[in-house]
This record gives sequence, C-alpha cells and structure tokens, in this order.
Amino acid sequence: MTRGTAADAGLTGPGAAEDTAAPGPGAVRRGGRFVRSRKLRKTAELSILLGPALVLFLGFVIAPIVIGAYYSLYNWDGLGPLTHFTGVHNYKIAFSDPAFVQAIEHTLLLTGLSLLIQGPLAIGIALLLNRDFRGRSFMRLVIFAPYVLPPAVTAVMWSLLLQPGGLVDEVMKSAGLGGLVQLWLANVHVVLYSVFAVLTWQYLGFGIILLLAGLQGIPAELKEAAAIDGATPWQTTRRVTLPLLGPTIRIWVFITVIGSLQVFDVIWLMTQGGPAGASDSMATYMYRTGFQNQAFSYGTAIAIIMFLFCFAFSLVYQRFALRRDTAGALTGAVG
Amino acid sequence: MTAITAAPPAGARGQRQRSSSWTIMPATYLMSIVILGLTVVPLLYVFLDGARSTAQISASSTALPNPWVWSNYGQILSSAAFWQFLGNSALIAGVATALAVGLGSMAAFALSRYSFHGREVIFTLFICGLLFPLQIAALPLFLQLQLLGLLDNQFGVALPEAAFSLPITILILRPFMRAIPGDLEDAALVDGASRLRFFAQILLPMCKPALVTVGLLAFVTSWNQFLLPLLVFSTQSHFTLPLGVSTFQSTYSSNTAVILAFTALAAVPALAVFIWAERYLVAGASGAVKG
Amino acid sequence: MHRKRVVLGVAVAAAAATVLAACSSSGSSSTSSNSTSSSGKVTLSWWNNANTQPLLGVFTNIIKQFEAAHPNVTIHNVPMQNELFKTKVTPALRGNSPPDIFQQWGSGQQATQVQSGKLADISSDVSPWIGSLGTPATEWQTNGKWYGVPYDLHVVGFWYRKDLFQQAGISSPPTTIAQLESDDATLRAHGITPITVGSKDGWPDAFWWEYFAVRECSQSTITQAMSGVSLSAPCFTKASADLDAFMKTNPFQTGFLGTPAQSVPNSSVALLANGKAAMELQGDWDPGAGAGLTSDKNLFSKLGWFPFPSVPGGAGDPKAVLGGGDGYSCTTGASEPACAEFLQFLTTPAVQKQIIGAGVGLPANPAADSDLTVSAEQDAAAANSAAPYIAEYFDIALPTTPGQNLDNAVAKWFASPEPTGSAIISSVSAP
Repeated sequence: MTRGTAADAGLTGPGAAEDTAAPGPGAVRRGGRFVRSRKLRKTAELSILLGPALVLFLGFVIAPIVIGAYYSLYNWDGLGPLTHFTGVHNYKIAFSDPAFVQAIEHTLLLTGLSLLIQGPLAIGIALLLNRDFRGRSFMRLVIFAPYVLPPAVTAVMWSLLLQPGGLVDEVMKSAGLGGLVQLWLANVHVVLYSVFAVLTWQYLGFGIILLLAGLQGIPAELKEAAAIDGATPWQTTRRVTLPLLGPTIRIWVFITVIGSLQVFDVIWLMTQGGPAGASDSMATYMYRTGFQNQAFSYGTAIAIIMFLFCFAFSLVYQRFALRRDTAGALTGAVG
Repeated sequence: MTAITAAPPAGARGQRQRSSSWTIMPATYLMSIVILGLTVVPLLYVFLDGARSTAQISASSTALPNPWVWSNYGQILSSAAFWQFLGNSALIAGVATALAVGLGSMAAFALSRYSFHGREVIFTLFICGLLFPLQIAALPLFLQLQLLGLLDNQFGVALPEAAFSLPITILILRPFMRAIPGDLEDAALVDGASRLRFFAQILLPMCKPALVTVGLLAFVTSWNQFLLPLLVFSTQSHFTLPLGVSTFQSTYSSNTAVILAFTALAAVPALAVFIWAERYLVAGASGAVKG
Repeated sequence: MHRKRVVLGVAVAAAAATVLAACSSSGSSSTSSNSTSSSGKVTLSWWNNANTQPLLGVFTNIIKQFEAAHPNVTIHNVPMQNELFKTKVTPALRGNSPPDIFQQWGSGQQATQVQSGKLADISSDVSPWIGSLGTPATEWQTNGKWYGVPYDLHVVGFWYRKDLFQQAGISSPPTTIAQLESDDATLRAHGITPITVGSKDGWPDAFWWEYFAVRECSQSTITQAMSGVSLSAPCFTKASADLDAFMKTNPFQTGFLGTPAQSVPNSSVALLANGKAAMELQGDWDPGAGAGLTSDKNLFSKLGWFPFPSVPGGAGDPKAVLGGGDGYSCTTGASEPACAEFLQFLTTPAVQKQIIGAGVGLPANPAADSDLTVSAEQDAAAANSAAPYIAEYFDIALPTTPGQNLDNAVAKWFASPEPTGSAIISSVSAP
C-alpha cells in the first residue's frame, strides 16, 4: 500500500508519477509554477469535496448544538426572555438529583449488558449463520427486520405483548414456566430488564449483519490451512476467525456503547422511564425533566453531560482500541 | 474428530465442508428456527391485531381475530391521507439520503485520500455529531428553520436529516475508500484524469456496495424520524408516516387496532428497500471493517 | 492552502450568521402574519386538539357557521393530536409567527405562557359577556386581566359500574372514605377489582393525592399554595398520610403501576368499560374514552357518578371539586375583535350544545348543562355547578415546571407510598 499512502501525500505521489512517466496529455509543466498551481488545484478540489458537507453540517448540526449548549447556562423555560444567567448551576442540580444519578446507573447498566450479552450472542449467531445454507438470504432479512421497524411500533407492540395476561405470559404458562411470570413493565425491579430484552430484540440484528460482513471478509483459505494443520473447528474459531474479526468487533463495540449511552426512543415510548424512574435512561430523564417540563436550560445541561460521557468514551476508545485498527488491520489489509 | 480434521487437500474442499457440517448444520437450523420465532411472532402479532377491532383487543389481548376486521387495512389503504403521508416520507427520505450519500461520499473521499492540516480535526468534528442527542438541537434548530423560512416545508426536514446522517456516512465510507489501491488512482492521473474525475468515474462505482450501505442506513433513519417532522410540520397534509399515526389518536382515545394496521403497512416500504439493498449491504459493511 | 482556509472561514461565517440571527429573533417584535389587508379580510389560524371525529367534524361545522355570520373572516383550522400539540406550542410561542388562536388550560400554565409576551390581553373585548360563564371562567385570568376564554369544563369524580355494585350487593355509593374502603372489601370478596387507576401516566395518581389535599386543606390554603408555589402547609402532609393509609387497603388492580390511563386496550378506562373493575377516579371524559375500547353498547347506562368522599377532620369543604377546562387564547399578532368574537361564539348556547354533543366535556356555559346526553354526566355537571369552589388541577394551577415536577413526584411516590410525602412537598418550589 506504499503507493496508496504516497498518493495520500498529494504532492509527491501523482506528481512523482507525472514527473517520471512519459509525457502524457496535461503532464508537461514543471517547476515552481507547476508546484504552486498543483497546490491551488488541491485546495480547490478540497473545497469542492469537503465544502458542501461542512457547510451543511456546521449549519444544521454544530450551530444548533452550540446554541443549545449556551442555553444550558441559563434558567430558562423556553418562553420568556433569556435573562436568568446561572452558569453551572444546572449541572450542580443535576448531579445532586438522585433520580439523575439513578438514570446514569441504569444507562451504564444497559451499556454493560449490551456488551456482555448482545456481544457474544451476536458473534455466536453470526458464526453459525456464516455457512452457506438454504434460506440464508431469507434469514438475513428476518434478522434485520426488527432494526428497520420504527421504535414507536416496537414500543406499542411489546407493550401489548408484555401486559399482564398478554402473549408473553400466555406462552410462558403453556411452556410450563408460569411460575416465572412477572409484571414485566409494572414491577420496578424487573422493568429495566424487560426494557433491555426489547432493546436486544430491536438491535441484535444490526450487530449480527455487521459481524457477518466481517466474517465474510476472512479468507476461507486461512481456515482451511488451520484445519490441515490439525485444528478443530473450535480451535480454528478461537485462534483464526475471532482475531481476524477483531476490527469488526471493535467497531460494533463503539457503535453499541454510543447508542446505549443515548438510548431513548424505545424506553420512552414503552415506559416513559417509569414506573417511578425505574427504567430511566439519561435521555428519558433529560426529556421528562427538561423538555416536557419546559425547563429547557436544565434539559440542555443534561444533554451536555450525556455528550461528555460519549466524548470521554470516544476519546479513550479511539486512542487504545481503534488506533491499532487504523494503523494496521484496517488500512493495511489487502482490499 | 480425527476423521474430520485429517482433511484431504484443498482440491476436495467441498467434501470436507460437508462432513464437518453435520454437527454444525443442525445447530444452525435450530438457531434459525429460534430466531425466526422470536422475530416473526411479534411482527405477526402486529399484523393480526391490525385485523381485529380495538374492542376485541381490549377484551382479550391474545385471541385471534374473530371476526376478521379487514376494514382497518382497507380503510387505511383507501384513505388519501395515508398515501400522502407515504409520499411525504418517501420524498423526504429520498432527498435526505441523496444529500447524505452525495455530500458524505465527497467528504469521505477528501478525508481518506488527501492529506492536509486539520484533516483529523475535521474528521473528529464530524464524529462529534454522533455523540449528541437530537433533542438538544431541537429548539435552536426550530428557530433556525423558521428564520430560513423552511417551516412546513419538506426541505426543512430533509436538510437537517441529511446533516445528522453525515457522521455515520463518513465513518463507514472513509476506511472503505482508503482501501482502494493507490495504483488505480495513479494510473488514472497518468492518463490525464483529474482526481475529481477519478473520484466520480472510477472510485464511486467501485464503492457501490458501501454507498448502498450508507444509503440504506440514512434512508431508514429518515423514514423513522419523528421529532424533526413534528417540529417542522403543522399542516396535516405535510405529515410523514410516523406523525400520521397521530391522526388515529385523539386526546382521550386511540384506535389501537387501526394504529397497528397502519404501522404494519408503514413498515412495508422500509422493508422493501431493505430487501432490494440486502445483497449490497453485507459486502458494503465488510469493506469498512476489514479496510 | 489559504483557499481552503477561506472556504472554512465562509462555512464558519455562515454558521455564525445563523447563530446570531437565531439569537436576535428572540428579541424582535412579532410581526403579524395575518394582518388585515386593505379590504378588511381577516384570516385566523386556529390550533386545537380536535384531530379526530366527532369533534373534528363539529369544529369544521362551527367554523362554517361563524364564517357565514362574519363574511370577512376566514378561519384556518389546524387540528393536531394532544401530545403533539403540547410539544409544538412552546417553540411556536418562542418564534415570531405563532398561531392566532391556540388551546390552553388556563391558570398557572397560562401565566407561564403570558411571559412570552405573545398572549393578547382581551379584557376589553370580553368583559361585557364573560360574567355569564360564572366562576370557573376566572381561571383564564392572569393578574386580573383576561388572556383566554374556556369552551368546556372538566370535573374529576368517581365513575362506577352500577351493575357490578349491584352484583356485590352495594346499594348506594359511599360518601366517606371509611365507606369506600368497606365497599372495596365487599367487591374484592365478590372477585371484583374495586378501583382501577392509570398510574403509568402519572396524572391519574395526582388526582388521588390532590383530592385528599382538597379535602384536608381549606380553600384559602390551596389558593395561597398555588400562587406562592409552595406546599408547606401541614394539610398537604396529611394528604399523603391519608392516601398512604388508603392504599394499604389494597384498592387497586394488579400491576397498576404499569397501566396507562386511556387510549389503549390495556388502559384503566378499558378495564372499567369492559367490566373488569368497578370504579375509577377520573374526569368527565371517561365514558367517552371508554366507549371506544369496548364492544358493550350499553356502557353509558351502566355508569354512575359520585363525588369524592369526605375525609374526617378535613378543613376542606366536602362538596368542593377538583377540575379544570379547555380554553383558547388569542396571540398578539391576531386581529383582535375578530378573534375575541370567535371565542365568544364558541360559548353561545347553540354552539355549546354541538360541542357537548361530541362528548368531550361539560359546557363552559351553564345554560347548556341540560344538553348533556349521558345521565351520569349530568350528575357530574350538577356537582360542578353546586360546588362552593373548584380547585383547578394543581399541575395547571402552578406554573408549568413545578406543576410537572409535582406530577412526577406523586407518580414516584405511588410506587413506594409512605406517610410523610416529603418528596412530593419538596418537588414544588418557585422556579
């Protein structure tokens, strides 16, 4: 990939090629004027390529976020004038509210559960489904379908299924598990786990598809070579497949953690974070105490805190986990 | 075990796969059945309840339709409002997807194959867009759109949606584009093409799987978006499908059976797009993860 | 390189421009988007929550009637579902072209909205006729000025199944809490769930707590608490103790913490409508809300109404009721006389009859009380009219943020009741 990285350098790659290749159309100018116009050209190209996206992004994403962050320094209900400057007061209130601390705990718990349970589950299922078998395309569709459903539908559907005497209860009773039936959404000790189950239902498919893609990038020859050397299928999986799946898994972890830290839709539509905040995530707490209560400044302060969680994780993760991927496995692999 | 692992050489590969597979295949099929059950049964439930009346559902949540109330589906499919919502959703999702993929691919190309000061900073800036919840931007965004005269206007939704889809688009496309060998680019330049032409005529077609991947993600995200259309649209005829559900809910009651029928129908286009894009999806994501 | 910097600079400037513009829009004076043209034609946009039948049809007809009587006025109907409506109103009031007429619920919530400076003071337009609506209408005054007009009223009381009471051998509804508790026990003995509550939504819990407060506290205590935004008076602590003791008698349905109030098949009103529970403490909209969730065509004749029982030793009047209503406000950009005329039109007896016919509430104009069709509703209306005073729902009487905090605190308390209710008391404080 040395040529590739040389091309990245802009000046020396193609330029060098042009200098040394036989003169072709447009490749003849040399010298100082040549270098400068190449610079200008590169700048122009970058402007065209990067400009529109940057303008759209800065205008519709960064600008509102910055303004929103500005609001968090006030005590504002969204209606009157913006006069009551309170600085970091909102942030102090947040951390001294036990409901918010509880919401943070729930969010971290959901994130941890996602990694510990959805991870191995997705990897296991992806490994099993990696073979070529009849109906594989259909299975891929079925697995991915829940992800495509709007969260509103998922919430309505599972609320009905999980109600006392609903389908889940009926199925459990007929399977002889009637003793395990709970008030899935009403019991404050159980509701968070019920919510986690629904989240898993909705998002597991995405992870499986992602991992399947990673698996299909692993050349079959490597697995055969291991088999020829006497490895059992399990050893092949452990020593060959899983390490090569590493980059995929690390991307999955990144997306899952960021998504879990921000989880909102399904929880809000099913339980509003209730009962009594027993299934609150940071985002549902933010929505209820901030925006629904017309305490916009407070809500925005919570959102900034959520951002800081995500940002901190993102920095640490990029430094330690993804760095090796970008340096080696990701860009160095044979495409 | 030894019978399986004392493998014949690569030429007899097909045979070896088959003999090792008769321990794994049943597990695969069993797993498939379990997944089918867990996934399909709830979806079927939505569809079936859409064929009952709300009164039936209140009386018993698990019974089969009795009688079958097809009028819910009929009522929705024959209402002009539903097709209007569908059209609005499709238009907005189409524009948002085209913008996100178009601008995102250009930006990813710049961020992956050029080197310049501040490149990583700009990339990190885009990633930061992923880390904020949408609600924080909602009120300022509303005011901004009002200023730009984009309220009650499809572009008022499509443009911000495209902007919010840029981070994940760039995140996925960048490694994929980086993996395209530099030799190709050099060859194109030697032939006199500009780098932009190389981008448009050679690189993009090669990235088709990845482009379809990010296109699908942007499409689904836009299709299911609720908060942004809620803020922007007041006139019911401009509503998108998720908002359209509210037309079956009033202050004190909602017609649950019709709502379930509606949501079953509303999910169909998104699933259809997935079916069409599925064959590209896997290949597309694999480029991102293995480089 | 410097070209790229220029491009970046342009991008930042564009973003900065939008930022500055957005900030300054909050200070700009609102220009009317519906100014009268030289020919005198007026257009009014009307935001309301009547997005489904039958009220949608009723409102459409009302608009036609008004426009026929006022040829130079056009009313643009913008109905939207209740929860969507609430989300959209605040940003709209913040921006510079809010709707001309929009729905709001008066009292402390109205006072919060008045701060936006966008609500029009219509005192001079309405004072000739607003008195005929009686005391309940005064909830739409803020600081002595009229900022809105009600079009219907609501009162909270007990809806009960006469057939289930008969089945359990209860001959007449309870009048004291002790009687209520013994009736509950009788119903349970007959295998009937006594009371259903939609605790998941929070506000039905608030009805319970607030009614105990209305029974324990005198009228002046409550008025002071709402205007002073503080629940420090001891009677509020007593309310928690009363409710805690009541809940210990196990009056509610299984899993009540997860039951929504209305709209959906597993809601508390659905339980009442399908005969799976005997009573519910709810507003006058309950019969209508339940009718859509059951196939029982005789539901209305099976329902009765009785007021909240009296509490021994309470300082509140046992005939006082908890209630509220729906009303509309004009915004400052709207054409004034026309807007106020429309609000008056909605309160005329003929129009009130049409609105009541849609089953959405009690009439704002007492002259239309006899037009109520469900007989139990007439009982509710009579209690409303005869009440010495009406306590507005606390979350509307208080400013918006403490009001919502109160609802959240009561809902949380419901999950683990205890006699002091200190978390509820402390949730309400001036913003």
